[in-house]
Amino acid sequence: MSDIRHSLLRRDALSAAKEVLYHLDIYFSSQLQNTAVPIVDKGTIELVEEFIFHVPKDRSVQPKRMNCVQELQLLEIMCSYFQEQSKDAVRQIIFSALFSPQGNKADDNRMAMLGKLVSMAVAVCRVPILECAASWLQRSHAVYCVRLAKVLVDDYCSLVPGSVQTLQQIFSASPRFCCQFITAVTALYDLSSEDLIPPFDLLEMVVTWIFDDPRLTLITFLNTPISANLPLGCLDLTPLLGLVRWCVKSPLAYKKNLKPSLSNGHTGKLPREAVECEGADRDSQPLYSKLHLSVLQVLMMLQVHLTEKNLFGRLGLLLFEHVAQLVEELGRLVDELNPLNATKEIELSLDRLAQALQVAMAAGALLCGRDDLRSLCSRLPHNNLLQLVMSGPVQQPPHSPYQPGFYPHIHTPPLGYPPRPAAVAHPTISAHAPLPTHTAHPAHNTHPSHPSQTFLPGMTFPYRPIR
Amino acid sequence: MSAQGDCEFLVKRARELVTEDPWAAKAWLITARTLYPADFNIQYEMYTIERNAERTASAGRLLYDMFVNFPEQPAVWREITVITAALRSDCQDKHAQFLRGLFETLPGRVQCEMLLKATEQCFNTLEKAEMLLLLLRRFPESVVQHGVSLGETLLEAESIEDLESPVNCFRKLFVCDVLPLIINNHDMRLPASLLYKYMHKAAEFYISYVTRGPSADGQLQGSQEGVSLKSPGAPRGSQRYIIEGLTEKSSVVLEPWERLLDILAIVGARCEWQGDKGSRSYVEILQRMKELCRYLPSLEGETLSCCRSQVVTCTTLVLFHSAYLYVSAVQPTLFQAHSSPGAVPWILLEDLSSVFSEADLERSSSKHVHKKRKLGEGREKTMSSDDEDGSGKGRGRHILVSKTDMPGWADMLDSFRTARESWDLLHSHEALETEFNRICSSWKTDSWLWLRIFLTDMIIYQGQYRKALSSLHQLASFQPPQQVQVSSQGSLEHHRALIQLASCHYALGEYRLACEKVLEVVSGLVPQAQGPGRATEDVTRTRTKFRKGTDLRLLSCTSKAIMPFCLQLMLACFKLRAFTENRDDLALGHVIVLLQHDWPQGEALFLKAVDKICQQGSFQYENFFNYVTNIDMLEEFAYLRTTEGGKVQLELLPNQGMLIKNPSPALGLVSQEFNTLLLPGVQTADRHHTVTRGITKGVKEDFRLAMERQVSRCGENLLTVLHRFCINEKIILVQSLP
Repeated sequence: MSDIRHSLLRRDALSAAKEVLYHLDIYFSSQLQNTAVPIVDKGTIELVEEFIFHVPKDRSVQPKRMNCVQELQLLEIMCSYFQEQSKDAVRQIIFSALFSPQGNKADDNRMAMLGKLVSMAVAVCRVPILECAASWLQRSHAVYCVRLAKVLVDDYCSLVPGSVQTLQQIFSASPRFCCQFITAVTALYDLSSEDLIPPFDLLEMVVTWIFDDPRLTLITFLNTPISANLPLGCLDLTPLLGLVRWCVKSPLAYKKNLKPSLSNGHTGKLPREAVECEGADRDSQPLYSKLHLSVLQVLMMLQVHLTEKNLFGRLGLLLFEHVAQLVEELGRLVDELNPLNATKEIELSLDRLAQALQVAMAAGALLCGRDDLRSLCSRLPHNNLLQLVMSGPVQQPPHSPYQPGFYPHIHTPPLGYPPRPAAVAHPTISAHAPLPTHTAHPAHNTHPSHPSQTFLPGMTFPYRPIR
Repeated sequence: MSAQGDCEFLVKRARELVTEDPWAAKAWLITARTLYPADFNIQYEMYTIERNAERTASAGRLLYDMFVNFPEQPAVWREITVITAALRSDCQDKHAQFLRGLFETLPGRVQCEMLLKATEQCFNTLEKAEMLLLLLRRFPESVVQHGVSLGETLLEAESIEDLESPVNCFRKLFVCDVLPLIINNHDMRLPASLLYKYMHKAAEFYISYVTRGPSADGQLQGSQEGVSLKSPGAPRGSQRYIIEGLTEKSSVVLEPWERLLDILAIVGARCEWQGDKGSRSYVEILQRMKELCRYLPSLEGETLSCCRSQVVTCTTLVLFHSAYLYVSAVQPTLFQAHSSPGAVPWILLEDLSSVFSEADLERSSSKHVHKKRKLGEGREKTMSSDDEDGSGKGRGRHILVSKTDMPGWADMLDSFRTARESWDLLHSHEALETEFNRICSSWKTDSWLWLRIFLTDMIIYQGQYRKALSSLHQLASFQPPQQVQVSSQGSLEHHRALIQLASCHYALGEYRLACEKVLEVVSGLVPQAQGPGRATEDVTRTRTKFRKGTDLRLLSCTSKAIMPFCLQLMLACFKLRAFTENRDDLALGHVIVLLQHDWPQGEALFLKAVDKICQQGSFQYENFFNYVTNIDMLEEFAYLRTTEGGKVQLELLPNQGMLIKNPSPALGLVSQEFNTLLLPGVQTADRHHTVTRGITKGVKEDFRLAMERQVSRCGENLLTVLHRFCINEKIILVQSLP
């Protein structure tokens, strides 16, 4: 290893970086021939950090810096490397070796480079990189994920108007990436302050994605083996809780952030910002309503899936603690607003909360009893629907029990959801091992070598399994 | 709160939100459904939202849910009724299309169940049948169970309702929709007798459909009415046709003859017909049947009866097909489907173009048979045209057609031949005939006017004129009496029977009757201005091989063509009488008048008449100056009086002869008084002659004056003169024939 280092030290920054990439390729390719799970050893990490992210190994060596042109050249080289490397495993391990946060001072540079690479991949639609980034978003700590998301939001939703279109098109190229991206942005924008309200372009894009294909939100979940131990602090398996948060809090959060401008509003000219803010609110609210419906629909689909996989009641996708936290946040928001000024908004928020709780419970996504809900929501103002949900339905004679999976034979997607022709064309599902592992993989042309699949009718989630 | 109260609250909230925030409304309902999954109203509300927004897939799914979980709800049934109604209708509006699309989203099993249940709820036979048809079309496996019973139900309904025409809604559904499903389903095993029954039902339907009259009721019997109601230039081909009980779209039957052929092919395959190679043309079928017929005598038992049924069924269809084609060419206005504006009817008559020749005169006077035979005619056997048995006579008769007036003449003659051959084949064995007659009586073909027209023409062609006469009388009975009037187009469709009667009487040698009919026709004609060319000239004559007098001719049924025919026929009648050994001046006079037409075609005959007059030394014909305006003839008669001309004594002025002797043998029984009464034109036109009559010199002077005056009349429209001749002299003409 030190031999390599010495030879690299003599090179200029760009060629050294290229050399490292070349070295990594050979090194991991050969390792993958012997073992399924290669180890990224310390030496390799150090090489990467020293010659790609330019963090000096020892103080004696003056760190080489690449200029902007060189950096762009390197990004291009990486881009084409991932595009051309046909082995998914090699791509994944190299991406991981390059960009897995190490908790050291190299992480800043690492994240900066990652942000630029992914942003570039979005711009030129490099699917392999987006797929690697999706995996990265699954493995990495939420803090880093949020940072990457922020870079993309800044690049595509804030800096250049209209550039959101480019990001939006990624939907068809890498649904996995989109799913993780949504989870990351819902973690980032939690509506706890004015800054943390999602930009309008971002909101619109996310709603469009999910409304067009609610199943998008479940891709990561369906691709992850249930037995897998998730790394500590990583993002949720689905963006569902984040989306519920958006829907439930948005009426109050937008109201709260409009407050100062409203108080000025009567004195004379409205500040420009306030007008914009109000306009954004008016445009945003229907989007949240649409999003809320999509979330409920996803939950209903989840119910069918959990029932089919015999997981109903055994796998809570929405953790009760998280829901409790959301209820608490909502309670605080209500307190902060003058309830008299925001009756409508509070009603709407509580309606949505009640609906989300009820449907999540019915779908088996939230595992708790109505008693738990009662104690949880006791602090909230009164709401008819919430009351109904907390007390539960009046018991009916049991003559027609509702069977969650009673609709298996019809080949139309449920609940007003228009089928995506490309996806529906492959209604396949893997023959599961005794313990169901949700190892589906989005179907696209860049992965032509899938193992053979067994056809099962009544497949609700038409994503191709990978193994 | 009660469960019902909860549900009402939830639905109410959703309803409030639908217009302003449909997503929220749906979110409410999804929540509500998870709370109260067994509540119908919640799901119905969900469905209503989706249906009103015409979202096919989601509405379909919800409908399915309701159909499975709430099969007894009236609201569900209302929906299903609306949807199945849309499936049956051919309405193309957006909502109907949405409803049909909605149905398509349902799984087949559910569609099947839904249609069956909806069928059960139908009380109207037609609706029920349409509903069941939807089922059978979609689910071929259900044909085995329901196909035949549906077919029988339809046929039963037809007889219960006592519908006159086979073109009715039940039969249409049976033939066009149910039958193909039944016979094309290979899981069905049907007995041959049933297949024949169905085949015949189909044939009757298609034939009646294609030959339906132009009147909207589709009744063949009413077709003549349609003819008389016809206004010039009315676009009759585009006339809409609706079978009662069906929509306009489903009343349309495309390519009926082709469909019939398809069914024939399938039934043939199913009945394992001899040498059947599936679909073929009608002409091919006839050839095949002819071959098959040769083997009939060698067959026995079941094979024989099977083969016989095959021959009769196939040949009957060929017969009706080609007869239809022939009649639609000959009388196009008869059929709604076929008529094009301005189409002229055609009429099959004796060919009289040889009327000006002297050949038949020679033949009729047996002494001179040898004398003027032309070479080409020598080979033909002499046969009188009124041979009643006519056996062998019809074979190889020639039909002359004006090829320019009738572009499709070759096809038409082919159809006529094919139809005749089919008929002959069906009558070649007694057993075949019996079976064919059974079909005819069950189809009531006696009431088919168009078929009667074909049969009449066929009989005429066969030379069985006696039979043709009764057929023509039968034909006349189809036509209501008030129809006898000339239509504005000068078409004489309603005179067709009368003209053919005349032609047949003539062929039978019944000249008096022939003349009577012809004069009746002429009285209904309006004389046309004389055309420049003669209609007969463009007829290709390939006649040298055929004996004169046995050819037939297809004439367009218009005044322009019919008037000359009438004149020729009269000429032909009188000519034989005029040139007999016995003197008959009246007949000879009529001949001379008639010879003016088509002058100088009749020059030879005229000269022959002049010869006869010279031989007689005298000639008496008082109508001469009324009707002879031909300058050549006038000159000839003026010459006859001179010494060089032979000083023939001519009594051509009215009343001149009456004073001297009885006019003619033919008029022997008629008193002078009566005669003058009958000839008013003669009286008024020549009153001034009375002043000087009786004196020979005066007579000469009268003759000279009359001649001079006559010369000035040469420019008169000859057809008008001859028309007047026919009308004014009607009685004398008829009576001067035996």
